[in-house]
Amino acid sequence: MRRWIGVPLLTAAVALAGAFAAEPAAAQDAEALRRELEQMRKQFDSMKESYEKAINNLSERLQKLESAPPPTPPPVTVAPSPPAVASQAPPATPAPSGTPSLMDLARPREPFSLYERRGAGQLLFDMGITGDFIGNLTQYNVQQAQGGTFDGLENYFFPREIELNLFGQIDPYARAEVRFEAGQDTRGESINVSLAEANLTLMTLPFNTQAKLGQMRVRFGLSNEIHEHDLPFIDRPDVLREFFGDNGLVEKGGEVTWVPSLPFYLQFLGGLFDGDNETAFGLASIKYPLVTGRVRTFIDLDEWGAIQLGMSVANGLQPDRLNNLILGWDMKYKYVPEGWQHPLFTTAGELLYQIRRVNSSGEDLNGDGIPDTPDEKRTLHRVGGYLYGELQPIRFGFWSRFAGGLRYDWTEYATASGHQWAVQPYLSFLPSEFLRFRLGYKHTEGDTAGCCTNTGIGSARIKDEWFFQSTFIMGAHPAHPF
Amino acid sequence: MSIARRSFCLAVAGIAVTIASGARAADKIRVVATTTDLKALTEAVGGRLVDVDAMARGNQNPHDLEVRPSLMLKVRRADMLVTNGLELDQWAEVVVQGANNPKVVLGAPGRVDASQGISVLEVPTARVDRSMGDVHPVGNPHYTMDPGLAGPITANILEGLARVAPESRSAFDQNRREFLARLDQAMAGWTQTMEPFRGARIVQYHPLFVYFFTRFGLVKGGSVEDRPGIPPTPEHLVRLIAEMKQGGVKLVVVEPWNDIKLAERVAQEAGAKVRVLAPSVGAVKEADTYFAMVDYNVRTIAEALR
Repeated sequence: MRRWIGVPLLTAAVALAGAFAAEPAAAQDAEALRRELEQMRKQFDSMKESYEKAINNLSERLQKLESAPPPTPPPVTVAPSPPAVASQAPPATPAPSGTPSLMDLARPREPFSLYERRGAGQLLFDMGITGDFIGNLTQYNVQQAQGGTFDGLENYFFPREIELNLFGQIDPYARAEVRFEAGQDTRGESINVSLAEANLTLMTLPFNTQAKLGQMRVRFGLSNEIHEHDLPFIDRPDVLREFFGDNGLVEKGGEVTWVPSLPFYLQFLGGLFDGDNETAFGLASIKYPLVTGRVRTFIDLDEWGAIQLGMSVANGLQPDRLNNLILGWDMKYKYVPEGWQHPLFTTAGELLYQIRRVNSSGEDLNGDGIPDTPDEKRTLHRVGGYLYGELQPIRFGFWSRFAGGLRYDWTEYATASGHQWAVQPYLSFLPSEFLRFRLGYKHTEGDTAGCCTNTGIGSARIKDEWFFQSTFIMGAHPAHPF
Repeated sequence: MSIARRSFCLAVAGIAVTIASGARAADKIRVVATTTDLKALTEAVGGRLVDVDAMARGNQNPHDLEVRPSLMLKVRRADMLVTNGLELDQWAEVVVQGANNPKVVLGAPGRVDASQGISVLEVPTARVDRSMGDVHPVGNPHYTMDPGLAGPITANILEGLARVAPESRSAFDQNRREFLARLDQAMAGWTQTMEPFRGARIVQYHPLFVYFFTRFGLVKGGSVEDRPGIPPTPEHLVRLIAEMKQGGVKLVVVEPWNDIKLAERVAQEAGAKVRVLAPSVGAVKEADTYFAMVDYNVRTIAEALR
């Protein structure tokens, strides 16, 4: 290779020298030409030397790269002791992530070497993908009635939520989060892709307030703001599905939070939304908005764990302009023993109370098919809640990756009469922080015969369901709050 | 006076005392650091002008801290937040989001990333992915283990404090110089203690002491973890034990929050010793200050290798 570079240069120099020599020069010019030739030779020698140095450097680097094991991070070698304490101020930018020099660009490299040289966050936002797959088995009559927990998808394995999550700072004052979601809602049909969330948070507003604007999971209670794959159990609690629908309360609008300067943690939240949720509200107008509120506090018991208490409210209009008010109370307790890296015990629960105005049709008293009493407006009072506990009792080793839990649900139907209860034990296995498998069994009983069919055939009054869930996370995923 | 009225008066008095004590603390610059190491170094620079609190306790693994609202309360009152950076304490962002304190959001004057200007070790030179475990794509974040890096770390803290309280810059600078001078003296002793063991191979549980090893000329002889953050498989442990025997590794070091019994089993099989090191200030009883932490780690390793 050295010869390959050297030969053309030498040839060029000789040719140039020859050209000069071929000039019909006078004798007095011969000395000048000789000097010039000598100078060019020196230049050539110096150039040759610098090329040799560069080639040697490249050869050494190549040798090092070839001898290094490719996939693992480089082993740490004994470095010469750096000066005792570097007291000077650090350079403005960290050396390892600086801009590549011309020599860096000239070096032979793997495709990713320049990409890796980017500074932290040079992409300017983080991204991650989560995948959540569900399989469920249940009785045939439940499938016929399409009344299972995952209605219409009974005895089926399907992607519940494949999510592309993009989040990061917009500028020094705001951050944003965008989530696209794909999942299967109906058996055998193609996957639906939708915008799950897209919002920005203004972080530097006066009076210690923050504002979140866009489409979001409303911060009502504990579970509603949590995405399906992040839930501490397999399915969304019955009361939330009954009062807010299968997807929970996802709305377009804004929320403002305020954390007053007090000796204890207290967060107030107020929200205004369109009210698109068809199950609970549905008028879908910012003129008559869905108004939400939440207050939560936190008691840190140090080595004895911590408790979070919260209260929520959502008030909005239904399409017939009748009011629906839902109140919620929630509690969560977590106990992480000193030095443990996961909670030993977690328990949480929510209680919801709905006050809903509905149009009630007149009653047919004499059986002639014609209502004998006039239509009237009534107020329905409905209650529901759930409580769960989870235990991850082993601190280290293979068995530390298992967690077992039990959830109990009890809820009245949002508009119909009657109630249902369910009990659900489940077992989670986490091979790593980014992969989780769950196995669960759910027994549900409704107290009204024929209450639980979406097709008019079959019945899902009593359901026994087996669930299997597998969840993965690729890339960045924001840390979860308490 | 009725019991109810008396209780009410007591409650009001309690709140008044709390607010008054808060007002007293308000005279100082309130700093929250994500780790106890950074707390200690901030106290060294800030001296009596600062009131510093840490989010993670010394014996907590700072990789994956539970984000409690009580942490948000600390940050809510802070004038400055010092983070480790290099993706060690990314959870701090969730805390900041829940704290509603514009003084410490990313890009605010009260926000300090202590890793600025650090020569980061173990920056991957090949493409990394999660099959390699919980690798840090921007390099090993445990630089506070190296007392020699206290200079650039405290320089970052000094700049942050000077942004928040420019009138006290000279006092901070003086504090820092005094601290570094004391550290220089201590460093001479630590270097002397470790000198006979230069080149000694040591197995770690998690690659947490790489900066410390590099400083004192020790060599990483493997990790009990198969890959960072991934529990070891039996095959990996068998291989590690064989390598330890072959390489004459005499010491396994472990953090207090990792599986000490497993480290002991590995060491026993390989004919080595196990020692619990202090991966942060307050991680063990003897490491209650920054100097004590370094001193404890140096003494523990030296005694084990002697």
